Amino acid sequence: MKHLRSICTLLFGVAVLLFYGLAYPHHLHYQEQYQLFLFDSTYVWEIVRVPGGLADLLGRFCTQFFLYAWVGAFIIACLLTLVQLLTLRLFNVQWFYGLSFVPSFLLWLFLLDENALLGGVWAVLLTQFAICGCLLVPKGWTRHIVILITIPVLYWMVGPSWTGSHYHRYPTVTPYLLYAAWLSAVILPLLVHFFKVHGSWFKVQGLSGQRQQIIHFSLFTFTFVIMMMIVWKNANLKAEKVMQYDFMARYQQWNRILETINTEKPNNQIGVTVQNLALAIHGQLVNHLSDYNQNGIAGLLPDVERDATSPLPTAEAFYQLGMIYVAQRTVFEAQEAILDFQKSARCYKRLAQTNLILGNYEVARKYLLALQKTLFYRDWADETLPLLGHEDAIAKHPEYGRLRRYAYNDNFYFSDHVTSEMLESLYFSNTDNRLALEYLMAYYVLTGNRDSYAKLLHHISAKQ
Amino acid sequence: MKRFIHHYLQLLAVATMLLSSCVSHPDVPSSSKEAKCLPAIFPDYCNVTVPCNIAPLNFMLPTDQYEACIARLTTPDGQQQTYGNGVKVQIPEEEWHAMLDASKGKSIKVEVWGRQKDDWLSFIPFEIHVAKEPIDEYLSYRLIEPSYVAWTFMEIAQRNLTTFEETQIFNNEITMNDRTKGQCINCHSYQNYKTDNMLFHVRLSNAGTVIVNDGKVSRVNMKRDYTISGGVYPAWHPTAKLIAFSTNKTRQAFHTQNPNKIEVYDLASDLILYDVTTDSVSIVSNDSTLLEVYPTWSPDGKYLYYCKSVPLPEEMRDKDIRTTYPKIQYNLYRRSFDMTTHNFGDEELVYDAASSDKSVSLPRISPDGRYLLFALGQYGCFHSRHHDADIVCIPMEQYTGTALTAETVSPVDLSLLNSKDYSDSYPTWSSNGHWIMIASRRDDDNYSRVYFAYFNNGRVEKTFLLPQEDPELHISLLKSYNRPEFMIEPVKISVDEFSKVFDR
Repeated sequence: MKHLRSICTLLFGVAVLLFYGLAYPHHLHYQEQYQLFLFDSTYVWEIVRVPGGLADLLGRFCTQFFLYAWVGAFIIACLLTLVQLLTLRLFNVQWFYGLSFVPSFLLWLFLLDENALLGGVWAVLLTQFAICGCLLVPKGWTRHIVILITIPVLYWMVGPSWTGSHYHRYPTVTPYLLYAAWLSAVILPLLVHFFKVHGSWFKVQGLSGQRQQIIHFSLFTFTFVIMMMIVWKNANLKAEKVMQYDFMARYQQWNRILETINTEKPNNQIGVTVQNLALAIHGQLVNHLSDYNQNGIAGLLPDVERDATSPLPTAEAFYQLGMIYVAQRTVFEAQEAILDFQKSARCYKRLAQTNLILGNYEVARKYLLALQKTLFYRDWADETLPLLGHEDAIAKHPEYGRLRRYAYNDNFYFSDHVTSEMLESLYFSNTDNRLALEYLMAYYVLTGNRDSYAKLLHHISAKQ
Repeated sequence: MKRFIHHYLQLLAVATMLLSSCVSHPDVPSSSKEAKCLPAIFPDYCNVTVPCNIAPLNFMLPTDQYEACIARLTTPDGQQQTYGNGVKVQIPEEEWHAMLDASKGKSIKVEVWGRQKDDWLSFIPFEIHVAKEPIDEYLSYRLIEPSYVAWTFMEIAQRNLTTFEETQIFNNEITMNDRTKGQCINCHSYQNYKTDNMLFHVRLSNAGTVIVNDGKVSRVNMKRDYTISGGVYPAWHPTAKLIAFSTNKTRQAFHTQNPNKIEVYDLASDLILYDVTTDSVSIVSNDSTLLEVYPTWSPDGKYLYYCKSVPLPEEMRDKDIRTTYPKIQYNLYRRSFDMTTHNFGDEELVYDAASSDKSVSLPRISPDGRYLLFALGQYGCFHSRHHDADIVCIPMEQYTGTALTAETVSPVDLSLLNSKDYSDSYPTWSSNGHWIMIASRRDDDNYSRVYFAYFNNGRVEKTFLLPQEDPELHISLLKSYNRPEFMIEPVKISVDEFSKVFDR
C-alpha cells in the first residue's frame, strides 16, 4: 500500500518534470529573465521586510535556477510533490488519497500562466509546514500557544492571503487558482477530518486490503487523468512557441532558428522578427523574404511597444545591426515595462554590453557590479569588468569590436519608427556591415521602393 | 551544562559581532609609506566646505585598489578619533556632530591610510572646512531610473540632511489603478521652503495635481479649454496662494549616436497663473510662435522670471522640430507682478543667451535677491541631458534694465561647482542663500546625483556629494536624483493621507 502511494507520488513528480522540461521549458526561461536575484543583504531585506516576503524571496531564489529549464522543472516537480505529500500527511485518511493531489494540480494550473510567480507555491508550502508543525505539538495549552505564535509569523512569511502579496507579476490580477490551491490544501484536510469524526462513510473501513488498494488506485487515476487533461488543455503552447523564438534570439542560436522556421513558419511578430534576424545573419534575408510570413516593415524592426516582452527580440536585432543606442533604449524600455517593478538579469547584461560598446564605462560598471552579486551571471561579469576602459581589448573583442566599428558616423534624431534613413546611414557608416545591407534591401523590398533598391544595387556593384 | 556554555558562547560571539559592526575605532598603522598625493576617496570630500549641521561625510577607498582604509579626524581643539571598516569610513552621527560643533568656522583635519596587500600607504592630509552657516534641514527629490519613455517604480522622497533618514513623500504604486498605462509623479514644489503649501503632479493613471493648501490636501485638474495642457513646471509665489506654471506639449526624440541619448522638447509651451484659493487659471503668456517655460519668482514676489525661446530663422520655421531643435535657444525674461491686481507688467529681457549662441533654463533668484542662478547649454531647455550644460551665477546688481549678455556680464566664478563635460543642472538656493544645490551626472554620465557648494558673497567653494550612510550607495544605486528641492521642514502628510485624495 505504502509502495503504491510512493509510486503514485513519483509518477506525479515525473509528470511535472517532463511537462516543464519538454513541453514548457521556455516558460521557465521567460520567468527567469524578468527578475534579478541578488545575493545582497539590502536586496533580501527589501523583500522580506513586508508581509509575504519570505514566500516571495524563496520563490525568487528558486526562479533564478530556471535559467536551466530542466533544473527549473525539477524544482517545480519537487515543490508540487512536497505539497502533495504534506496534504496527504494532513489528510491521514486512505480513502481520499487521490484528493491529496488536488492542491498540487491546482498549483500546476496556476503555474501555467507565465506571469504566475513561484512565491505563490511557497506560500502554500509554508502554510502547510506551519500547520504540520502545530500538529506536532501535543494537544492542550502548549498547542494553543504555539498556534497563537504561528499565526502572526505565518502572516509575515506568506502575507495577506487575498491582497498585496507578490504571487503574480500583474499586481491587479487576483490569482484565484493559487487561492483555490491554498484553500484546498488547508480546507480539504479539515473536511476529511470532519467526515471522519461525524460521517458515516468511514464505517466501511472493514474492507480487505486488496479492495482498499483498488479504490485507492482508482481514485488516484481518476484525479490524475482529469487533472492532466485540464493541465494540457490550459497549457499555452502557442506562447511557448513565441518564447522559444525569443530564447533562441537571446542565445543567438541562428542555425536552430532556421531549422525551426523551416519546420513551421512563424506567424507572430516576435517569431517573424527573430526569423528575419536569423535569415539576415545567414545572408539569406533578401533572397528568401517572400518564402516566409512577413508583417511588412514591422516584421523587420517593429516599433518599440510598452511591454516587457516584444521589445527584447527587436533589441537583439538592433544590437546585432550595430544600432547600439537604439538597442540600449529598447532594452531599457523593456525592463522598465516589467509590471512588478523587478529588474532583469538579461536586460542588465545587455545594458552592460551596450554601455561598454558606447564607452560609458562607469554605467557599465554599475550593471556589472550588480551582476557580480548573482549566481549565474557572476562569471560573465567577472570576465567583462577588466574590459572596461581598455580600448584595445574592446577593439579586438570579436563582438564588441565589430559592433563599435558599425557605429553611426552621423547623429540624428529618431522616434519609435525605424526609417530607411536610419538603415541607410548605418550601412553607409560602414559598408562592411552586411547585416545592415540585408535589412536595408529588405526594407526597400517590403516598402516597394524600387528606385532606392536599384541605386543600392548599383552602389554595391560599383564598389565591387 | 555543556549545551548551556555552547549557547552562551554563541550569544557572546553574536553580541561581539554586532558591537564591532556598530563602530570601529582602529589604531592607525604603526608604519606606512607616504603616497604624496591626496587619497582617491569616494565621494571626494578633500578640502570641501560643509554646513555645520550636515550628516557624516562617510567615504571609501576604491575596492579594486585597496583592502582597508583608516581615517583619523582631528578637530581644532585637538580631539582625535579614528575610523575604518574595510575600505569604508563610516562615522557615527553623534560623534560627527560633536566634531562639527567643535569645528564651526574652522576645519577638521583628515588623515587617511589605505592598505594594499600588506602595505599601508599614508596620503597627504586634507581638511573639511566647517562653515558657520547651516544647510536647510530637509531635501526632497524624485528617485527614478534615468529612463527614455517608460518607467517603473518611482518615488518622491525626503531626506534629513543632518542625518541619513530618508522617508517617502509619495510613490507611483499606491494609487496606480492601471499598470499598463503607468503612473508618473513629478514636479514636487514648495512655497518658500515650507511644506504646508506644496504640490506635486500625478500623470496618466489617476491623474491630477495634488495641492496642499495650509496642510489640507486636494487634487485638481488644471487643464482648461484655453490652455494647452494642465500645469507642468510650477513656482509657488513666495507669499500669496498663487502658483505660476508653464503649460507644455512635450515630446521626446532619441539620438542615434550622441551621448546625450535623449532630447526632450516642447512643441508648444505657455505660462499660466493658478489661484489656489479660487481654483482659477489665468494666462500669463501664450505667444503661439514662441515657447515660454520654467517660471520662478523673485523672493519678494514682485517679479516672475521665465525662459522664452527666440524666433527661429525664417527658413527653418516650417521644418520638423526634430531638425530645427538644435537651433532653438531660450533667453531669460522677467515681468513685474502686482500682488493686489494680479496683473503682470511688460516683459524685460534679463539675459540674452542666444546672442552668444547659448540657451538658458531653470532660473533661480537667491533669497536675498542679489544673485541669479541658471543652467546654460548650447540649445533647448532640458539641460539635464546635455553634456555641455553648466550652472551660471550672475550678480543681479549688474542688471540695470538693459539685457545682460555673455559679453557684458561678469559672472561669479563657478569653476569649483561645475563639472567638465557632464551635465550640471537644476540649481537651487538654500533658504539662507549660503548653499547652492545642483543635480549633476558627473559621476558616471547617467545617474544624476545631488551636489552642494558653499556660497558666500559671490565666492563659491568646492562641491560635495550628498553624504550617505553607506558611501557605496552612490555607486550601486541605479536611480537618478531628480529635481532636488530644499525644505526647512519635512512634509508631514503621509503617503496614505496623500493617496486618499484619489478616492474622492
